[in-house]
Amino acid sequence: MISARAESKRVRRRERTGVTTSPGTDARRVLQLILAAIWLLDGMLQYQPSMYGTMFGQMIGGSAAGNPGVIADPISWNAALVEHHQVLLNTVFATIQLLLGLGIAYRPTARLALAASIAWSLAVWWFGEGLGDVLTGASPVSGAPGAVILYALLAVLLWPTDRPGVTAPFVAARAVGAPVARLLWLVLWGSLAYFALTPANRAPQTLHDMIVSMSGGEPGWVTWLENQAAAALPGRGLTASIVLAVALIAVAAGVFLPPPLARSGLILALVVAAFIWVFGEAFGQLLTGGATDPNSGPLLALLALAYWPLATAGQGEDHDARPGEKPA
Amino acid sequence: MSTPAWILGIFAAMMVLVAEVSAGQLMIAQAWARRGGAGAGTAVFRLLTGIAIAGILVPGLSILPNAVWGAAFAVVMTWFAWCLWRENRERGAAAVAHGPYVPHLVQSAAMLYMFAALAGPPAAGSSGTGGMSGMEWRSSGGLPALHAPTLALIFALLLIALTIHDLNRQADADGYFQVAGRRPVPAGTALAPAAAGPAAYTAQRLLLSPAVVKGCQVAISVTMAFVLIIMI
Repeated sequence: MISARAESKRVRRRERTGVTTSPGTDARRVLQLILAAIWLLDGMLQYQPSMYGTMFGQMIGGSAAGNPGVIADPISWNAALVEHHQVLLNTVFATIQLLLGLGIAYRPTARLALAASIAWSLAVWWFGEGLGDVLTGASPVSGAPGAVILYALLAVLLWPTDRPGVTAPFVAARAVGAPVARLLWLVLWGSLAYFALTPANRAPQTLHDMIVSMSGGEPGWVTWLENQAAAALPGRGLTASIVLAVALIAVAAGVFLPPPLARSGLILALVVAAFIWVFGEAFGQLLTGGATDPNSGPLLALLALAYWPLATAGQGEDHDARPGEKPA
Repeated sequence: MSTPAWILGIFAAMMVLVAEVSAGQLMIAQAWARRGGAGAGTAVFRLLTGIAIAGILVPGLSILPNAVWGAAFAVVMTWFAWCLWRENRERGAAAVAHGPYVPHLVQSAAMLYMFAALAGPPAAGSSGTGGMSGMEWRSSGGLPALHAPTLALIFALLLIALTIHDLNRQADADGYFQVAGRRPVPAGTALAPAAAGPAAYTAQRLLLSPAVVKGCQVAISVTMAFVLIIMI
């Protein structure tokens, strides 16, 4: 009855406005499209003039420092390769990322592009980002566990498949199931809490210095924001780390709670992601002309949205899918 | 240190192609003869945008000073704002939200910003060596630096959102990608199959197909966002 009423409402709306919505644009597809937009932005950032200088190769080579030889050697090899074939390889990297974004957004190629994005993300996480510094002292405020691994995680969680006969309580559970999705969430946010409390990150000046260092090359208003945040933190690294770790643990545990409490945990996750992106990552340094991606803040927020409890849990959200058409 | 000229050339070639396709659509559909001229407006916009962006990317293709382009896109933006207002009055806000005018308004505003930012005094950090059409160029020899980079990023993000929106939308779902005015070819006209031959008729159908319009829209949004980001 409710669905018949909704259908008739939708038909009336179409008659009134003369437009049709795209088929299969449900909550998961919307999140896929946001992921596609971030990939597209990544690709365009990779075409920036600074990426064609020596900085890019040095940045890759720098991520090998401190990693064990088995991890560091391939990174150094990749850095040398990029430095020798800078223009060609950077253009290839940029184009791959651009195509991943376009491919995920275009329905017929969405699956292929999502699969390719997983492989690409894993390769970049190792060969380009040194496993996001997780073995060498990563900080959740500066982008741990590496933004690019979050792309892979999102591609897995937003994979366009539904488990037959299973009612999914949130979008991220539709492909992998709720237990696996919750476990992945726990591992991610739990590890961020751990990183927040490592000795290097809880030192008195660490957080202050980290935020101050982000203001270089930024427009005045970003510098002002960073300076304001840094001014509140001098010598308070331990307190700030404990507060951050408690918030991250609450977020990690949130998805195991009943929906009303889970929503609170997810709102906290969105707040933490915003704090990290604005103050710790300076909006991914997108305005400096030297960013390769928007960093982890937007991806953490996107993940939180994928875990938002569904009002009508389960499948069959693809109201606009045509008969016989698989949801994207 | 700059984005290689051949990459800029590829994007410029894509924009020239979009301009040519838009010119072809205008001629074939005779969109200017339609009521209100809205179909003509969008096709003319794509034509102008294609030429203008190609001129930014490859200075040799620049045919007008930045100030003239800025004025042209101010007129186009006003035109789309008026179309939006009219659409809202006639069909309501929901139709406006799903219609083609909001994306075109955003694109024309982005073009206006781009040329206004290029026509202004030298941006901080640029060498100010001068260049084609009054542009200020980076010392690296690449594209000019834009003023107010925050605005450039905001427009780039909006254009990326438009790209994603257009790609996700089915080409033939509704009239969204038929803004150039696709209509049956009257018998006896120059473009009817009997008169022009099957090849011309197929070319006409191809040029006016929603998929081609969609491709042009996506190409424009991607290239505009690309230009804005590499000039931040």
